[in-house]
Amino acid sequence: MKGASFDEPARPARLWPRFVVFALIIALVVATLGLRLFTLQIVSGGYYAGLARENRIRLQPLRAPRGIIFDRAGRRLVNNVATFAVKARPADLPFSQRPAVIERLATLLGMSAVDITEAFDRAAANRFELANVARGVPEEVALIIREEHLELPGIEVVVEPQRQYPYGDLVAHVLGFTGAVTPDDLASFGSLGYLNDDTIGKQGVEATFEEALRGEYGVEQVEVDARGEEIRQLRTLQPAQPGDSLELTIDVDVQRDAETALRWAMDRVGLERGVFMAMNPQTGEILAMVSLPAYDNNAFAEGISASEYQELLNEPGGPLRNHAIVDHAPPGSTYKLVTGAGGLQDGILTDKTILQTRPYLSIGPYKYWDWNRQGFGPLNIYDGFGHSSGTFFFQIAGELGIDRLAYWASQFGFGERTGIDLPGEVRGVLPTNDWKMRLMNEPIYPGEVYQAGIGQGYDSFPPIQVLNAYAALANGGKLLKPQIVRRILGPDGEVVDEVEPELIHELAVDDDVLRIMRKAARRVVTIRQTYNLVDLPIVVAGKTGTAEFGVRDDKGRLPFHSWFAGFVPKDPWKRDSDPNGVEAVSRTDSELAILAFAYDSRTTGNAATEIAKYFLQMHYDLDVDLRQDWILERDNFYGQ
Amino acid sequence: MGTMRVQPSRLGSLGSRPATGTWHTFDLQLAFYALALTVVGLLMAYTSSGGAPLEAGSIFTRGLMWLAIAIVMFTVAASIDYRWLKTLAWPVYLVNLGLLVLTLIVGSGVGGVSRWVSIGPLQFQFSELAKILMAVVLANYLASRQGKMKSLATTVGAFLLVMPALALVLIQPDLGTSLVFGAILFGSLFLSGAGLRWLLIAAAGVVAMVPIAWTYVLVDYQKRRLISFLDPAADPQNSGYQLIQSQIAVGSGGLFGKGLTNGSQTQLDYLPVSATDFVGATLAEELGFVGGVVLLLLFAALLWRILVVGWRSRDPFGLAFAAGMASMLLFQVMVNLGMVLGIMPVTGIPLPFVTHGGASLTSYAVGLGILQSIAMRQGRPAW
Repeated sequence: MKGASFDEPARPARLWPRFVVFALIIALVVATLGLRLFTLQIVSGGYYAGLARENRIRLQPLRAPRGIIFDRAGRRLVNNVATFAVKARPADLPFSQRPAVIERLATLLGMSAVDITEAFDRAAANRFELANVARGVPEEVALIIREEHLELPGIEVVVEPQRQYPYGDLVAHVLGFTGAVTPDDLASFGSLGYLNDDTIGKQGVEATFEEALRGEYGVEQVEVDARGEEIRQLRTLQPAQPGDSLELTIDVDVQRDAETALRWAMDRVGLERGVFMAMNPQTGEILAMVSLPAYDNNAFAEGISASEYQELLNEPGGPLRNHAIVDHAPPGSTYKLVTGAGGLQDGILTDKTILQTRPYLSIGPYKYWDWNRQGFGPLNIYDGFGHSSGTFFFQIAGELGIDRLAYWASQFGFGERTGIDLPGEVRGVLPTNDWKMRLMNEPIYPGEVYQAGIGQGYDSFPPIQVLNAYAALANGGKLLKPQIVRRILGPDGEVVDEVEPELIHELAVDDDVLRIMRKAARRVVTIRQTYNLVDLPIVVAGKTGTAEFGVRDDKGRLPFHSWFAGFVPKDPWKRDSDPNGVEAVSRTDSELAILAFAYDSRTTGNAATEIAKYFLQMHYDLDVDLRQDWILERDNFYGQ
Repeated sequence: MGTMRVQPSRLGSLGSRPATGTWHTFDLQLAFYALALTVVGLLMAYTSSGGAPLEAGSIFTRGLMWLAIAIVMFTVAASIDYRWLKTLAWPVYLVNLGLLVLTLIVGSGVGGVSRWVSIGPLQFQFSELAKILMAVVLANYLASRQGKMKSLATTVGAFLLVMPALALVLIQPDLGTSLVFGAILFGSLFLSGAGLRWLLIAAAGVVAMVPIAWTYVLVDYQKRRLISFLDPAADPQNSGYQLIQSQIAVGSGGLFGKGLTNGSQTQLDYLPVSATDFVGATLAEELGFVGGVVLLLLFAALLWRILVVGWRSRDPFGLAFAAGMASMLLFQVMVNLGMVLGIMPVTGIPLPFVTHGGASLTSYAVGLGILQSIAMRQGRPAW
């Protein structure tokens, strides 16, 4: 039964007074809010507008601590230390006071007024941002500047982290350095949050791994006083992300041995430049990379002056240049690896083939001399390589031709950047017919093919390529990218990225051919081409190189560089079962390839071999010392 | 329980009434003021989108999306005969409590506070919806108490009904929203005609509770926020900071404001939560006194319209619900803008329609839809 009475809700008892009261409350609330709005915006509007305009609160970047760099054993190669820096905010410095401020700063900081003016002007792009005036300022000077802030408007003293390299110049070129950002840097990286007074990696891994090392800057809000100095931090809008750390493939112990050996020979002879590198052929990891002369990274961290920098630039040894990768030189006889392997692979000869060597080969009126000017008689590949006979390899090169030779060279990585994670690597010069046509509008001549076959003439490569070629020989044909960084570590030491060996390509060379070339490299040592290197209790295989360059002296002799490139089997020790180490070098398990390069050596013997020998003695802790002084005497055994 | 009353005649009477004809009585003003306020909210969302308002996922585009959802929900709520809510009151009440418990269990928030529940990509603050549902449940209860309205039992019953939900919100902890529940309770009782005596005693009781709540219920940060408005300079780095910056923002707006997206305080991030709780400061800075007065007048007009709907309702449910809605809106506007203008403590209550946030907007859309449904069905009683 549906009934209206059941369904009908009770009529509401509407109470007029209560609705009126409620409406009045609404009116009261709205009126109060409106009145308050009026007071704030109209009555005190000017006051608050002023507060907003000169807001005492400033957004300020929070710098992230830069990542640390370790060697492979976890030794710190760089630290961040707190130092005082003097900075300028040009917007806060009235022009009328500029001369006085600059003069006072020049006195206090011991800088020239010109340098300070320059620092001010560098910041002209953004007058409200800080610009560096001086870094690494002594504490007492910093305190004086702080005390005189009233006379030095716009000048601020801040504590900022600075790079400190505890090993001085030992790992100079690998580490590199950071420096003040330039306007160019800002143009390219400004969007990444670089600041006017920021630092950026300029050289070495500091530059190539800039992004990882830098971290991410945050933003904080600070309250500043009328002078613009920070009173207190209000809040962090975005925390800074500390930079990642690098663990290099470099082993400081190996690096020090390399440096000691190289420096010893260079001091002895008076050499201008030298390179020594050690690498693990199985992984491509660079264990040591020394380029001398070097520089002290700390000089850059502390802020190098223009004149000091100019001095470094003008030094004849080029201390700022990592000669291992940014300069190239003819590889000399180390290049016979390419000629030999190419000849074997292309069937021009086998390891049974005997070639007649002579005092010289003639092409028309030109004579191409063997280095001993007599020839070595009939030789197979082992002895040809062992004696480093020029006429032996002229013949192979002649058969191959320049383009085929270049093909085999590129197989071994010559003429292409290895891709090592260091700035400024060059490709070198790998001549082909095309290349010469483009450059000189003529083809390669047969005599130039001979020259190319022994790593002379146009051929010129950075030392890293020579090392990498011998590493590929040692590991059985894998051309790997040389690695300089092993792992990238997060701020708490956790592994962010592990660098895996990176194959550039497999050599298109049979294992047999490579084995022959490794045995031939061992023959170089056993045949005493490398003097008494064979007398070390370890098995070393390698190849020397003597590369002429430059202009002839009054006796018609060319200056030359000395090379040694080689490797040591995984088990380095000589065994009675394998007295000549032939078995040992037949394997592809080597974990040490080395390269020594003595620029413009002009010594009685091959200086690079002596450097390698000394290094190996130290590296394997041998209690023999087979260094021979006579080899390092200044002379010119070549081209007489 | 009277509130459980099933209404068997409803289906039949739906057919007997000119159901479509109810749209003639659609309260245009109610919808218009609400929409105007939402547009103001969109303007604020636009200015708070950090220079890229049209990018997917910006505050502005999300605001547009929520507006669309809100319009749909308003229309659906208005179309449905509100009297069904009486039938469903108890399930609604249980759902309400369920949502609040769920928020406590799976909710997430900032700094040990659980307020939001994530549903897919959306975060929803169920306590917003709970306010509306509470108003529904309470109105239904009060409608059932006709004739006994002035009795103590009615007031006590209403309190018992609201307290569980209020407590659940309070322990989230969300002091602001729990106070809104209190406002709904008092407003509904007051306009429905509950005994003034009991209301005064209850109010006195609440005042007496303050010291106890201060000592045992309130968390430290709530306390700091509550008193910082008295002297913002006492704690300028934290709770006072917002208040100082908010007043600078409002004051520097002047008569006409700095123009949309030109507010230095809000755009340069001096003022935290300028898109949410302190959106009023953004508005005052960028649109000035003129904009602020327009905002206040829109709220006043909407409140007025809600009261009119309640007054005209021939159904005590309609009156009580309108009372609850009006109390809720008035309280939120007062507390939020009072906070922005530095005359009320910081409680974290959003400004209805204007604060960016889907939960608040859609919940109000449902509430206004129900009011609209009430308004549309008063023209000629079918019973």
